[in-house]
Amino acid sequence: MREVMLVAMREIRQVLGTKGFWFMIAAVPVALAVSGFASNQLAPERSVAYSVVDETGLYEDRITARLEYDYQASELRDLAEYVERWELQDAVPDAPWASRQSWLFPAEVERFADMGGSEAAIAALEPFREEGVPEFEPDDRSYEQIAFPDDLTLPDAGEEPDEKLIAALEGDVDVEDRELPFGAVLQIPANFGEPGAEARIFTNGRSNTGLIRVIREELSGSLQDGAFAAQGIAPDTALAIQGLQAPVSVIEPPPGAGRSVVATRSVVPIALVYLLLITAVTTGSLMLQGVVEERSNKLVESVLACIKPDALMQGKLLGLGAVGFMIIIVWAGTGMIGALYFEGFAADVLRPSLEALDDPLLIFAMLFYFVTGYIVLAMMFLAIGAVSESMQDAQSYLTPVILLIMIPVLIVMQAAISGPDQLVVKVLSWIPIYTPFAMLARLGTGVATWEIIGTMVLMVIFVWIELRLLGRLFRASLLNDGKPTWKRMVGWLKSSEAGR
Amino acid sequence: MSAAAMAFDGVTKQFGDFTAVDHLSFAVPEGTIFGFLGGNGAGKTTSLRMALDILTPTGGRIDVLGNPPSRESASDIGFLPEERGLYKKMSVLDTIVYFARLKRMEAGPAKQSAMALLERLELADWAKSPVEKLSKGMAQKVQVATALVNSPKLLMLDEPFSGLDPVNQKMLEDLIADAAKDGATVIFSTHVMQHAERLCDRLLMLARGKKAFDGTQDEARAALPARLELASRTAPDALPGVESAEAIGTAEDGWIKYDVRLNSGVTPEQLLEHCTTNGFGLRSFDVQTPSLHEVFIHFVGANEEIER
Repeated sequence: MREVMLVAMREIRQVLGTKGFWFMIAAVPVALAVSGFASNQLAPERSVAYSVVDETGLYEDRITARLEYDYQASELRDLAEYVERWELQDAVPDAPWASRQSWLFPAEVERFADMGGSEAAIAALEPFREEGVPEFEPDDRSYEQIAFPDDLTLPDAGEEPDEKLIAALEGDVDVEDRELPFGAVLQIPANFGEPGAEARIFTNGRSNTGLIRVIREELSGSLQDGAFAAQGIAPDTALAIQGLQAPVSVIEPPPGAGRSVVATRSVVPIALVYLLLITAVTTGSLMLQGVVEERSNKLVESVLACIKPDALMQGKLLGLGAVGFMIIIVWAGTGMIGALYFEGFAADVLRPSLEALDDPLLIFAMLFYFVTGYIVLAMMFLAIGAVSESMQDAQSYLTPVILLIMIPVLIVMQAAISGPDQLVVKVLSWIPIYTPFAMLARLGTGVATWEIIGTMVLMVIFVWIELRLLGRLFRASLLNDGKPTWKRMVGWLKSSEAGR
Repeated sequence: MSAAAMAFDGVTKQFGDFTAVDHLSFAVPEGTIFGFLGGNGAGKTTSLRMALDILTPTGGRIDVLGNPPSRESASDIGFLPEERGLYKKMSVLDTIVYFARLKRMEAGPAKQSAMALLERLELADWAKSPVEKLSKGMAQKVQVATALVNSPKLLMLDEPFSGLDPVNQKMLEDLIADAAKDGATVIFSTHVMQHAERLCDRLLMLARGKKAFDGTQDEARAALPARLELASRTAPDALPGVESAEAIGTAEDGWIKYDVRLNSGVTPEQLLEHCTTNGFGLRSFDVQTPSLHEVFIHFVGANEEIER
């Protein structure tokens, strides 16, 4: 064991001494920091100011009301998520935000707005908010309406906007102490509704698609109302027809149950699949380079005079395994700290995912598949290194091996995410080189205990056989000059005396 | 004879159908400098690898420092392989310490011993440099240091002089002599007879895996028919024990020089005694000591690839 540790420590020091390793290990935290900074600092401002010049006086209120409804609905959704996250449901049990629902009905949004919206909800929640629970932060309205500036003029129908208007649309305006980009002006001509008359939206070129969609929908709705009236349908009837809602009620499982928790529980194991691939391939390549160096440098004989080939192999597996683990800890650690520290989408996904890992068997199984998966892949790299004379030589073995691993694994990932019970996933779960990937992908969806134990036994047997067989190949090829033939390699695999 | 530091008893090693070492038996007495002589493919490297437990013999028995070959003995052994290499990115000091640690030395003593060796090899200034910055000769010295760092009882060197320039060859010869002086047993394989001639107490000559000779340099030379140069007025070919006598050069005042070969088992002293008692006139009588190269050709044959 002492020799194994010495070899492992040397391998670790060698890797830590390379610049490439530090670039790689820093890549994820730096990427996270940059993306965090970018999303904080460089994200386009969400709010936009707009004006409506409605010469008919018929449509402006309708558009304003619709934008307000959308804003309140979005606030209600955010608030319900916040309440669920911090377990504040009991504060005002009958409030619209006390339970999170995928579907919001207009009546509920209106009730929320009538109750005073986010500000009233924040006040109602305040007495229940414990220390450490942040206050809910309402979003700003995406579209703030301003009066059309007096010093600007709109073009007549069919004419281009003048330069002053164009310049104004490229600038900012003050709205309640905030500077917002002046995003759009809606011009509704007095004859709107007659054939040939059109409403025009002048924009600053930014795609305010949300605003334009709402304007379109509401203007169309108004015209439809007019058409109903023209058909002799009373306005109340028309409104009733348009307001018809199919009587559908949406029943959702309580939080922490149902498919959402299945998906939640799969996040960490599936992330492990990708981490396994990345670390096994990265450290495997380092291992391969190391063995090729030792062989081509002829220094392996000096080492073998002091320690057994098995100790050399185990030391390499252990040392580079530790390096792989270090990479994962740094990546996952910074990812986790980042996600939990910064509130946001990632944090919302990650937090429940970690909380869902409540079953000790699940955690043990995750670690088991990860470690055995690592050994299976790393041994392959080690064996390739041992039979290759140069890196170029290794490449010819490496490409088919990587394809052999990657392609089914990517298929498994696709299949496991779309439907974990698919036959292909189940079959691959029992083919040892794919078992760790398939099982990790399936773990979150609930796998029968017998299947977990069965595949674990299979993996133990396979790893044992692999260590023995590839160990022979490693031992026999170390002192063998040049590139062995396939026939020779098969001979080594068969003989327990290979290389002795 | 003192105890053996290494002994082979009927050792055979086969690789498939090829017999690399064939029923080889010999013993290396403790404290001697022992030469493994043979051309390419004679079985020198295979024998050393078996002694190190890197290879297992097909048959026979090997003892190394009183035990069967095992990595357990690594702490008492220093080994320098024929083909050498080092971890390029590792520093000189770390490299030597790493090998010392593999040979079960503790970190502190390993470092001390490594630094002392580097001083002696005039490489102390390079201790922190990565191996890739060294010249070839310097790297060879570092490799020698990895073999010597644990002050081994048994030093095995496989073709240690190959690839060294004359200055470093001399340095290595001195190191080997010093190690022996300190009590180590040194075994080295070579196909360069000069080094063996200068260093070895005992020799093992190998030809295609078989032992051709095993003994001291004197014994090796004594096994060759004696040869001498003498000057006489009469041809010496009729004298008892003379196998052949060939005149060389021209006569000087009637004295002629002869290159004389004796029958095997006959010594020059016996011939000299015969001449003086029987009044055979001699003007000079020079015994020619055979070179190791001649001894090697005698035992192994002229076809083996060796250097004088």
